[in-house]
Amino acid sequence: MAYLTEYQYYENGGTAPTNKNWGSYQYVSLEDIVNNFMLMYSGNHSLINNEEQYKVLFHAKRAIQELNYDAFKEVKVLELKLDDEFRFVLPSNYVNWVRISVLRNGVLMPCGENIQANGASSYLQNSQGKILFDSEGNIESKTSELDTLRITQQLKTMYLNGNSPYNNQYGYNYDGRWYFDFEIGARFGLNTETANMNPTFRIDSKAGVINFDSTLDDEVVVVEYVSDGMEGGDNTLITVNKLFEDYVYAYIQYAILNSKLGVQEYIVNRARKSKTALLRNAKIRISNIHPGRLLMNLRGRDKWIK
Amino acid sequence: MINSVRNTVLSVLNKNNYGYLSPSDFNLFAKQAQLDLFEDAFYEYNYQINKENARQSGTGYANISKSLAEVIEMFSDSATPSNLFQNIYLLPDDWYFINDVYYDDKSVEKISASKIKRLLNSNLTAPTTQFPAYVLRGTVLDVYPSTITGTGAVEVNYIRYPKVPNWTYNSLIEGTPFFNPSLAGYQDFELPADYEPDLVNKILQYAGVSIRENTVTNFGIAQEQQENNDER
Repeated sequence: MAYLTEYQYYENGGTAPTNKNWGSYQYVSLEDIVNNFMLMYSGNHSLINNEEQYKVLFHAKRAIQELNYDAFKEVKVLELKLDDEFRFVLPSNYVNWVRISVLRNGVLMPCGENIQANGASSYLQNSQGKILFDSEGNIESKTSELDTLRITQQLKTMYLNGNSPYNNQYGYNYDGRWYFDFEIGARFGLNTETANMNPTFRIDSKAGVINFDSTLDDEVVVVEYVSDGMEGGDNTLITVNKLFEDYVYAYIQYAILNSKLGVQEYIVNRARKSKTALLRNAKIRISNIHPGRLLMNLRGRDKWIK
Repeated sequence: MINSVRNTVLSVLNKNNYGYLSPSDFNLFAKQAQLDLFEDAFYEYNYQINKENARQSGTGYANISKSLAEVIEMFSDSATPSNLFQNIYLLPDDWYFINDVYYDDKSVEKISASKIKRLLNSNLTAPTTQFPAYVLRGTVLDVYPSTITGTGAVEVNYIRYPKVPNWTYNSLIEGTPFFNPSLAGYQDFELPADYEPDLVNKILQYAGVSIRENTVTNFGIAQEQQENNDER
């Protein structure tokens, strides 16, 4: 792609949306990657010869997907209200979550992942506990008790939030300390893993939803997640940070050589080492370690740990 | 060049009164000879590339593959194929080898007919207007995605067949046809001038068979082999 003029960059040449090109210089497009690879790494005198472009395209996309999973620091954020069943439908380009928070009183409160199940499938059973089938032999399902309790805000939780069985129970204060008649933390101390009053969630990947506990009431949930960078299949929008450009070429080269018949093992190894080294370099670069940032971290040395 | 080739061929044939080659026979043999040499250029180019990859080739004037590429590129042409129906385009009549197909300045990739369905069903590599593809079926191209339609949407860069050589003559003057290149239908050889000996040798081989004179055929074959050896 040709370089943009300043006017095109800042104002998109005067056409809406004017912010279209902001920050675009950091990225190289998928089209450029495939085009450059076919020109520079493929040909009569190259290691890769007579290889179809669609294979290059495939490996380029695979490289970008892999980078999106763990190397890029490009976390997408989606804010939605929960539905009536305390569910948050996963974003259409969702691959994995980073952090899930609830926006409460203008503060983002991080939610904890519930270590207990908060939803289940369930089958219709008769009074003897036998599973019931319809006339075609298909199993008859129903909403599980667990789900019903959660949706009707009756499901108790081991977390110390509003659904804790100990919530609203009496305690007494003696000599400045609180004491309770129930056994929470009494014998073995508090389970810090569950000692959090924020709402909890559990992701049902197959169902494509995040199930929240019912302590959330008409509140806004913010999900930070990673995607695979495929931009809903629109090739024109797929880009990769320039710091990873060389890695993508090396990945494509390795992937093709690795699956090609008759390529000597030392050449495959060379390509593998090259891509690994380039990925490492790019990760270091994008981590942006520089004196200013180090200084900020080092200032934390002076904090007293109680 | 065609007259010079014909004169040389006739000179060799007539040396020992082996025989005579009529203009129509010469034109037939000339066509075969040119096609043969034209096709050989591709094989020779491949041979030279392999030599280059084995580091047995030089640069500058020793860069044989470059001169062969130039010979082939003499036949390079481009055309806007006509749109037959929806995403189907008709190739030009004289195409020999498709170099590249373009849609909106983007290279359209050739896909074998056996793979196109899989490709269309592929999530990551299905043809798009950014990465289009085509399937060659006979003399037509099926261009994908199928939204690519209309005349002028697709451009083909190709190597065409050489034009059929035609030695034209006025009439017989004292029993000899008189060469006239200004007549309609005249067509010279399209190969470079350094192919003249090769053309003569090839035509002699055909002519030798035609007049049932093994000596002529063998002479042509021997000359050709000698030239091939010299060029390796």
